[in-house]
Amino acid sequence: MLAITLFGFAGFAGLCLSMERHYSDLLGHKATPRRLRGLRIGGWLLLVVALWLAVLKSGWAMGLVELFAVLMAGLCLWVFVLPYRPKLLLVLAAASVVLGPFSALGWI
Amino acid sequence: MKEGFRQSMAWLHTWAGLVFGWLLFAIFLTGTLSYFKAEINHWSQPEIPSRALNSAASLDLAQRYLQTHAAGAGSWFIDLPSEREPELSVSWRPAGGGRGDSTQKVLDPATGSELQARDSRGGDFFYRFHFQLQMPHPWGRWLSTFCALMMFVGLITGIITHKKIFKEFFTFRPGKAQRSWLDGHNAIGVLVLPFHLMISYSSLVIFMALVMPASIAVSYNNDTRAFFSDVFGIPQSVKATGKAAEPLPLSTLYAKVQEQVPGARIAWVEVQNPGDENARVRVTRYSGDRIAHLRGGGWLFDGVSGTHLSSDFADTTPMLISGGFYGLHLGEFAGPVLRWLYFFFGLAGTAVIGTGLVMWLGKRQLKHAKSGVQPFELRLVEVLNIASMSGLILAVAGFFWANRLIPAFQEGRADAEINTFFLIWGLSLLHALLRPGRKAWGEQLAVAAVFYLALPLINAWTTGQGLNHSIRVGDWSMAGFDLTALGCGLFLYWAARKMLLPPVVAPKRAPKVAKAAALIESEVK
Repeated sequence: MLAITLFGFAGFAGLCLSMERHYSDLLGHKATPRRLRGLRIGGWLLLVVALWLAVLKSGWAMGLVELFAVLMAGLCLWVFVLPYRPKLLLVLAAASVVLGPFSALGWI
Repeated sequence: MKEGFRQSMAWLHTWAGLVFGWLLFAIFLTGTLSYFKAEINHWSQPEIPSRALNSAASLDLAQRYLQTHAAGAGSWFIDLPSEREPELSVSWRPAGGGRGDSTQKVLDPATGSELQARDSRGGDFFYRFHFQLQMPHPWGRWLSTFCALMMFVGLITGIITHKKIFKEFFTFRPGKAQRSWLDGHNAIGVLVLPFHLMISYSSLVIFMALVMPASIAVSYNNDTRAFFSDVFGIPQSVKATGKAAEPLPLSTLYAKVQEQVPGARIAWVEVQNPGDENARVRVTRYSGDRIAHLRGGGWLFDGVSGTHLSSDFADTTPMLISGGFYGLHLGEFAGPVLRWLYFFFGLAGTAVIGTGLVMWLGKRQLKHAKSGVQPFELRLVEVLNIASMSGLILAVAGFFWANRLIPAFQEGRADAEINTFFLIWGLSLLHALLRPGRKAWGEQLAVAAVFYLALPLINAWTTGQGLNHSIRVGDWSMAGFDLTALGCGLFLYWAARKMLLPPVVAPKRAPKVAKAAALIESEVK
């Protein structure tokens, strides 16, 4: 379930950053349209991977329940901590991207 | 036209939310507590020791006890212990008897001897209140189901009213009074929307016979039993012959079940006509072994020969759909992580309702802020807000205090606990009437904070099973309860502080500096 959480969290972080206002708020500079598109595609891809991992691990019924649960939890964490500790969340999101594959392979 | 539609939806959202919000808050909060019903039950009856699980041994112990104490009964019921709740309980009722005629005893799962546990509704009180509202049948169920319908209406109208659902998907701006409340309300509503929709829609499915009796009556020619049998499954029963026969040990049947489905967890065993030639044993699987919650599913054995008669896991589509929603609502399948998430999402649902109620009032109070005089209707809403939210939180803590402070074997103590709950709730209403709004909030939250923070201490003092003991022996249901009470206490302390300190002024900054900081912030943006 950790791998699903990491991929899902990173996915939504990507989608958040793909919005111009959030991107410039969080990273302090304006994004090129190309980068925004990249983030949007990347974010969705990470979410698809999370879905795939969830279904692979627990089947459609339980997989979807687990996926929704960790996605909603990750989103709440992201949105409600963002105004207070944006840097921490960016680090967490980056760590999720890096650690996600290792977790999916069962190494952590 | 479009604007008109959205406005009328906003009107519906506002008023349905206000009128049903107070009750919905209570329904959601007690429902959220019910995700830990087993743990609360365990905490409420500390006399029942936590033992290593051994279902087969427990079954034989229960059978032996029932053979000596309830040999002539029409049916026996054995409720097996689980990881979350250590109680082994047996009950029996005479042939032809109903629910009210049954006798129940609690046994030690390791020795089979009768345990004297304090009489308490425990988690079942909150669970029952959650959909019966302590009202006579069927009014409570009917009202709570109607509230669920209103919650569903609130969600749909909320989505329609929310103009920037995607644009502000990730937006929460704290420290900006009404703006922040609205952001918070929207964010918790939208981010946890799948849960909110599931929970309110599934409650309508659970009580669909109450919600839409007409369509069922028409399709089934008024035979509601046939409807329930189709949708949820209902076990059949057999007649006793009157000839005695030596029954098989229940552990033998348990082993047969394990042969068929290795690792299946058994929750409930029912013996019809015990000691008779026609004894039937129905073994019901723990409903958390799968998502769908189905009544009456299980293995049916001949209690004398041990012949496996049937396993009815009728997976018809209507049963899977209704059972699926039922199971998703109850979350019995959830392991520890998922269960905690269920709990937090339940709190999120409670918070959506609470923030909505606060906003309704805050918006209207602003108009009267200068004159300092509040019209009667706003004061009424304020008092009801306070009593229904902080008052309820206080009453829940009061229930737990009563559980520890009322002598363990006093006559009628279970009812006394419930009376304490309602008494404190009533007192909070009185207090809210007498004190100005912000003060009333702050004082009730502060008392609640003290109540929750002290719970682990009272537990340790009255039962000797405080955190030092429960963590050492690995009784995580007990320890989890105490730790959660501590967490709630800290949160309430924070909230009380916010209410009692003068508004707007941030603790460390003078107002002028705060304004300047905001300006600088906005310039950076």
